[in-house]
Amino acid sequence: PERSARVSKVRPPLHQYIRKLLFADLDKTTIERVLRQLRKLPWSECETYLLKCFMKVYKGKYSQVHLIASLTAGLSRYHDAFAVSVVDEVLEAIRVGLELNEYGMQQRRIAYMRFLGELYSYRLIDSPVIFDTLYLIIFFGHGTSEQDVLDPPEDCFRLRMVITLLETCGQFFDRGSSKRRLDRFLLYFQRYVLSKGVIPLDVEFDLQDLFADLRPKMVRYATYDEANQALLELEEVDRNLAASEKDRSSRPLNPSTQGDGEAHVNNPGSEYVKDAQNIGAAPLGTRASGIHGAGLADDADSESETE
Amino acid sequence: LETAMKEQQARTKVAVRHLPPSLSEAVFQDQIAGKYAGAYTWWSYHPGKNSHKRQVYSRAYINFKKPEDVIDFYEDFNGHVFVNERGAQYKALVEYAPYQRVPKPRSKKDVR
Repeated sequence: PERSARVSKVRPPLHQYIRKLLFADLDKTTIERVLRQLRKLPWSECETYLLKCFMKVYKGKYSQVHLIASLTAGLSRYHDAFAVSVVDEVLEAIRVGLELNEYGMQQRRIAYMRFLGELYSYRLIDSPVIFDTLYLIIFFGHGTSEQDVLDPPEDCFRLRMVITLLETCGQFFDRGSSKRRLDRFLLYFQRYVLSKGVIPLDVEFDLQDLFADLRPKMVRYATYDEANQALLELEEVDRNLAASEKDRSSRPLNPSTQGDGEAHVNNPGSEYVKDAQNIGAAPLGTRASGIHGAGLADDADSESETE
Repeated sequence: LETAMKEQQARTKVAVRHLPPSLSEAVFQDQIAGKYAGAYTWWSYHPGKNSHKRQVYSRAYINFKKPEDVIDFYEDFNGHVFVNERGAQYKALVEYAPYQRVPKPRSKKDVR
């Protein structure tokens, strides 16, 4: 049978030039020049195309991802809307990946985790966005009828996602509130890991490396029940703290009820999951009081109601 | 941390997801303009794509002036069914945007 020759895509010269800059020229020695060239582009015509190309990070070498993040940071000074769009787009891509859980998308989903971590390194996002994403990954779809499609017990892909993100930016969570948040997340993560069946050896080794790098002294639980028990105790402590916090803040003339960093830290992971999943399941009205722990009674497992 | 706390207290940036791939920005804007015309400070629309491989939903980000408006908007539009030209139905999702930052009103003009 006759077949027409494959027609190759013809791109306008401007698009070709952008692709050349990003996919051929870009390396650590040329990044300054590429950034200058990008700034010289006619932004009103090509911003959309540029965003599209930035989202192709998965096509380049894995080691190049941080260069794209660096460019995003460099451009944010003059084109802040562009930088915001890049972050919105990456977070959306991660979410869609979880919604579809398609085998063929795995490579790019890993690249997006790395990209998000690098965007944190370049200070385009702050740590709550990272932790929201981490909790989203381990809870998304759980407790719904779709759980067996989205995250079946034998599927270890989400482990790889978490490992990749924490490999990229976990070392920054080594002090203050972000340190405590990582400690807490790793406990939820341990329980999640233990809910999986047999874990492939390469993932198991990556997990060992991750814990050795980030929290060498942390207890690794051997069974799901042990990890679950540890979490229940932690949540109990939180509830007590929240209760005393409420006592304190209900007293008049207490100046520390607003902007109290500790109160924020006391939020359990469930708060993040709720945030990330939808604003409908949790009554919006309680949001403001959430920082004082009003949401603490929620069990993390109950956070997966979906619309 | 303090800025993060403030954001937690008063999140105003909303993501509208799962809109029909072919829905244009103008049509979407018309739909919400009536009630919310003056209620937002910033707006960004990401049109989707219909291809045989995979369809990509359209998506909008809206930054409201007041946190209360977010609640009204959520009640009006979460689960709202948009119908495309072929009659297919799309149920919109309204959520707080995971990334709450909006562009600074006026970036520096790039002198290049």
